[in-house]
Amino acid sequence: MLLDKLFSKGRKEQVVIERITEHIRLLEVACEEMRIGMEGGDLRRIHHVLRLEREADAIRRQIIAAVYEGAFLPYLRPNLCRFAENVDRVFDAIEETAYCYLEMKLPSSIRDHCLRIAFYNVRISEMLLISFLAMLRGDRLREKTLAVRIYEKKIDDLKLEIRRKLRSLPVEGFWEGKALSDFVTGLTSISDIVEDASDDLHIMHVSMR
Amino acid sequence: MVKLTEFMTTNLKFVDAHSSVYEAIEQMVDYRIRSLAVCISKEKAEYGVITARDIVVKVMSKGIDPAEAKVGDIATTPMLCTDENATMHEAAQIMVDNSVARIFVCGNGGPVGVVSFIDLMSAALIARARGDHATR
Repeated sequence: MLLDKLFSKGRKEQVVIERITEHIRLLEVACEEMRIGMEGGDLRRIHHVLRLEREADAIRRQIIAAVYEGAFLPYLRPNLCRFAENVDRVFDAIEETAYCYLEMKLPSSIRDHCLRIAFYNVRISEMLLISFLAMLRGDRLREKTLAVRIYEKKIDDLKLEIRRKLRSLPVEGFWEGKALSDFVTGLTSISDIVEDASDDLHIMHVSMR
Repeated sequence: MVKLTEFMTTNLKFVDAHSSVYEAIEQMVDYRIRSLAVCISKEKAEYGVITARDIVVKVMSKGIDPAEAKVGDIATTPMLCTDENATMHEAAQIMVDNSVARIFVCGNGGPVGVVSFIDLMSAALIARARGDHATR
């Protein structure tokens, strides 16, 4: 693995790599739980997303702690921390989306588009994991980051269509409208943050050459 | 393998065959799309397609008033379709064989999505990036 070759096979480094991998795998699981929960209206799955976010928070703290305890060369540490923080921001967005989903009923006119976005969120988080594993192997990331951008653009197109439909959707009150608006914002922001995290990987990859 | 349904555009817009071409233009401009599915008979599941190219070539360039022309008169029928289980490769082959820029994906109840060259290109790039990776 490229990171191993460059920065020794110390235990601290190994812990960080394992935790980051676990962090991204958990992200993929959370996105899949959100998708399945939305598809079947299964609220237990949505509650599971909330628990996964707390688990992810603990992993993020372990990563940051291990990095500050001296894992990896100093110049890489800020990038690693920023990457972990960005993955955590994705979890925050999923958590917010899950909370909003629990407070509202998904209107049928935007349901299909929202489910499609939830599906792309699973795919884009999977691609983030593929990118990270590729970086560890020292593979080129150009194709992987492009794939992330393609998914992000697909979601952006759907976001425009949802917004168009939302404008003509009647809501009973302020809070119902807010929950719906926050839900859509959260669901569609996940890919934006994954894209940021993907860019972090790219920067790390370039800086290791 | 990346599925056709994963990359098709589901944001399909329909126009009735009896509508004016002007109405079709309005929809295309509003939704920033280049083609519309034309509903000829919903009961018989008969559909066609009208593209921006059809409108320019068959109406505007001939000086015909789009408000007077009917969608059904210039639409291409029947709609070129593939089923939801088709692969990206099969869809691409149909498009190449028929020299068309897009193909509709049809289920039992009619068209459910449309795939264009850019969708096929994106899918090919995704498949390349994914490689043999399967995390689940």
